[in-house]
This record gives sequence, structure tokens and C-alpha cells, in this order.
Amino acid sequence: MQVSLSQVIPIPLKDKIVQRNSDVWNKELSFNSTEWIKIKAPSGTGKTTLVHILYKLREDYSGAVLYDQEQLSVISAEKLAQLRQANISIIFQDLRLFPNLTARENIELKRVLHKPVYEEKVIDEMAERLQVSHILKQRAGLCSYGEQQRIAIIRALIQPFEWLVMDEPFSHLDQANIAKASALIAEECSKRNAGFLLTDLDADEHFNYSKQLNL
Amino acid sequence: MLHQLLKKLIKTSAGRSRFVMAMIGLTVALVLILAAVQLQANYNELLNGKTNQDSVANFLLVNKAVTNKTIGATTLSETEIADLRKQPFIDDVGVLTPSHFKVSAESASGNMPFYTDLFFESVPDGFLDINDPAWKWDDRSQYIPIVIPNMFLDMYNFGFSASQGLPQLTPEAIKSLPVKIVIKSGITPVTYYAKVVGFSDRVSSVLVPQAFMDWANKNFGTQQDAKPSRVVIRTKDPGNPALVSYLSQHGLTTDTDKTRFSKYRQIVNVVVNASWVAGAVMFIFALLIFTLFIQLTIASCRPEIVLLTTLGTSPRQLYRFLLKQFFPVNIIVVFITLIIIAALQYFVQHFLAERNIYVQPFISVYTIAAGIAVLLVLWIVNSVTIKKYIANKLT
Repeated sequence: MQVSLSQVIPIPLKDKIVQRNSDVWNKELSFNSTEWIKIKAPSGTGKTTLVHILYKLREDYSGAVLYDQEQLSVISAEKLAQLRQANISIIFQDLRLFPNLTARENIELKRVLHKPVYEEKVIDEMAERLQVSHILKQRAGLCSYGEQQRIAIIRALIQPFEWLVMDEPFSHLDQANIAKASALIAEECSKRNAGFLLTDLDADEHFNYSKQLNL
Repeated sequence: MLHQLLKKLIKTSAGRSRFVMAMIGLTVALVLILAAVQLQANYNELLNGKTNQDSVANFLLVNKAVTNKTIGATTLSETEIADLRKQPFIDDVGVLTPSHFKVSAESASGNMPFYTDLFFESVPDGFLDINDPAWKWDDRSQYIPIVIPNMFLDMYNFGFSASQGLPQLTPEAIKSLPVKIVIKSGITPVTYYAKVVGFSDRVSSVLVPQAFMDWANKNFGTQQDAKPSRVVIRTKDPGNPALVSYLSQHGLTTDTDKTRFSKYRQIVNVVVNASWVAGAVMFIFALLIFTLFIQLTIASCRPEIVLLTTLGTSPRQLYRFLLKQFFPVNIIVVFITLIIIAALQYFVQHFLAERNIYVQPFISVYTIAAGIAVLLVLWIVNSVTIKKYIANKLT
């Protein structure tokens, strides 16, 4: 699936954006699902805004976002749900787990939303690798941010996808855990032949990026 | 599995007591509505059924009023009868054939001596509430079957027998009593034997089979082709103002006592209509509470539903889940209602059977069809409400 941005400018950031140069805003861009893209930007320049625009969580922008040739703004709710179940996965900066479900249930929900591609035991394997096995039975609301972030990563990886969108996915993790998590993510993306788009504050060497852009 | 997780997220327990109240209200409403349907079905069965001994179907004897002007001229012409047949409120007209010969009856046994002069009338069998196989005659028959009004028996048992010091008689005793009939025709009286085979509430006359009457009038009649002066009409509603005004316009009178059936009908109508209206109003309120409950549930789970959608739960998945939460209880309610109606019907059947009124012991297909129709309405309301509020929450 090709994701294209055509002259996209978020309306609230319009004034700021026209005054500076950006690799993304107000440009013609096309991403293929084999690309591993890093978007680097300081705080407040619209990283989360970009992620939300790509995931159709907000529509206060000018220009157009296209999934393949289809304009995202006119995609039906049903089609969008299908895309989110099978084609595009996401790790939110604010994690967005259900606090009243256990960590395992949060992951399981995403696994069974679509016809599962992974068996349930894959949850245990991934949890083992990210060292969160011990909290799987715990309510997500009671987990630390670091734990929640790893649960959110596993949740994003348990579903089928062609694109993985990550919004500062390692913000609550130490270097050792970042290494484990990025290894798992890289593995899962390669397995699916999927691309990803990662936003972060600084340059890093977590992945073998095919493209790096400044927002 | 997905539904188990959704169940944890979308709590339908908010306002559970209101939901239970709505369900109870719905049950009462459905009992009223379906009872109205069943009552109407029972009434139609009584009105049109042929199995009832004391049918509520309305048969009226109609003749010209005897006044100073009409004395001796009360026969009904063919055009008058044809006009009666044409009226929309008259289902059928049967001509009562009077006997044109003198008849007397006397006891054939010494136990119960009696003698009386009398007359016969006959009416087509379809107008008679007699199912006795003995009710037929041909020229080889041993005896003439006779039907007398129930009223005669009552008059005898409660008036005549007491005043004359005679024993009271049961219908069975009367039926077993042989009667000698003497037809006085020409010079020599002819003797036949007759037997009472039934009692009628419908036609207050001494009735013989049409076949005997035609034969006897031909052989013993003093005047041929006499015009009839009484007809029996079948109508669905003797209380129909059109019928009443038609009769009075044409100088016809009828047995006003029979109009008591129309009172029954009015009562049934009032009960059915009251039940309908009360049921329908309650149904609408139950639906309203129900939709409010769905709205409340969806509104109280708004953050969960928004996040579920963000994660890719499709509107259809949510819709299916919610419908599964709300709709099955409706099926149970309709089922319970049908069981209640069936039990009531069984009870009513027994109650009426003791009073010689026969209705089906089982609920009618119309009632079941109405139940299914109600279920369909509930499904549509559920479905539309859920779709509407899911869409609301997502935009």
C-alpha cells in the first residue's frame, strides 16, 4: 500500500509552517510499504499531528492524504476499520490502552478484531522478549508507563499490517529495552515485508532507516 | 472472544433496573396487544364458526309488522326478498316456508296424554343450529323429525307443568317421546309419527325438514305457491344502524331480543379496542424507554467506543455486539407473552366450554403472526437506534 501526502498543511500550524522549510508539510510525498521512514522533529512541530492525520484521527488540514489512490478523507467508516485491522497498525505516543482490561486482554482484543494471524501464544513470546510477561494479568491502568508502552508495542505487532506508524514509541523505555523492542519491531516488519513511519525528537540508530525526514 | 472483551468494555449494566422495568412494561404491553388479537380471533371464530351449539352468529327472523294497515297483507314479495339479499349488511336470507294444511299433535303413548293443534314451518338447513343426523326426511322415513324452540321447553317446565301438576321434562325425555301427527287434508286425516330431534334458539317456530314441508305442502296444501311472510336473515352485526334503519323503512320488524348478541359484540369490541389502545400506548413507551436505554449505554461507554473505533473496530462489529446485547431479551419477552396468552386461552376455552361456547384451546395463527410482527418492529427499532447512536459517537 502506497501512502501519499499532497500539499498537506495542518490548519492550526499553518502560520508557522509557511515561515520555515519542512520535508513533509506542503510537499508532494509518496511512501512505499517497503520503506522504513524516520521523521525527526523537535517538540511542538506537529509529529503527533502528522501521525493522527495519517491515521485519520483528525481532518483539520489542507491538501490530501491518499492510501494507494484512495483519498483518506472520503473513506467510509467500514473501510477505515478494515484498513486499521489489516493494513495499518499504530503505536500512539499516549499509548491508549484500556485501563480496565488486563495487559493481555488489551493485546488480545487487537488480535481477535480481525481474523487472527498469530496464535495466542505469540503474545506470551513477545511479552517474554520485552520482559513484560509478569504483568500480562495486571490491569493496564496499574502498569507503569514503561510497561504500558511495551504492551502497546506488542498490541501493534499482533495484527496484520503493511504499515506501522509509531509516534515516539520508545519515550518511556531505557536503552536496553529500546534495543529489545526495536529488534522485535524490525523483525516483525521484515516478516510482513511491511514499512514503518517513526517519529522521534532526535536522531537515532535503532533501525536501518531507508529515509530520514525533518518535519 | 471479541464479544467477551467488548462485554468488559461496554457495560450494559448502567440503568439495569430501568431496563428491567422497560422489559416488564413491554411484556404487559405485548400481553394486551396479543390478547386483543386473540380475543378478536376467538370472536371471529364464534361469529363464523359452524360448530357452536349456541352460536353467537346473528340470525334474525324478519317479518312485516302487523298493524291496522297491514293486517292480512304481510307476505313478502320476491322483489322485497331480493332487495334484502342485496343489502351489504345481510349475509344470507332464508325463506321460512309455512305449512298450508291443518296439523294436530297428540301423544302416541298413554303415559303423557296431550293434544294440540299446531303449525309447521321450515327453513333451509344452513340457518339452523342443529347438527343431529336424525334431522332429515324422505318419503320412506319412519317419522318426521321436529325441532322446537328451547323457549317452549322452558315454558312447559317452569310454567305449564307446575300449574297442571305435570312432571318436568328433560330435553332427552322430550326427544324420546313419540308424537302422533295428524294432518287434516280433504276428508280423511293422515297420521304420521314424529320425534323431537333438537331445540333451537334461533328460530322460534315448530320446524320440520324442508323436504318434508315441500312434500306435504304439495300433497296436502290447500293453496299452492303461497308467498312467504317470514324470512330469517344472517348478519354479522344486528346492531348495525344501517340494518335497523333498513328494517324500519320497509316496515319490517325483528326479534329484538336477538339484539342482545349485538351487545356482546359491542362489549367484545370495547374490550378489544381498550386492550389495543392500552397495549399500543404501553408498547410505544416501552420502545421509547428501550431506545433511551440503548442511547444511555452507548453514551456512557463513549470513551471506550471511541478507542475501540480508533483501534479498528468496525461499526458493523459494534452494531452486531450491541444488537446481541439488547435484542435476545425481546425474543424472550415475546415468547413469554405467547405462553401467557396460550395459558389464558386454555383457561378461557375451559370456561366457555362449560357454557356451551366452543373456541379453540390453542392460540390462533393471527396471534402468533402478531407476535412475530411485534418482534420485527422491535428488531427494527433496536437496529435503527443502535446504528444511529454508533454513527453519532463516531463523528
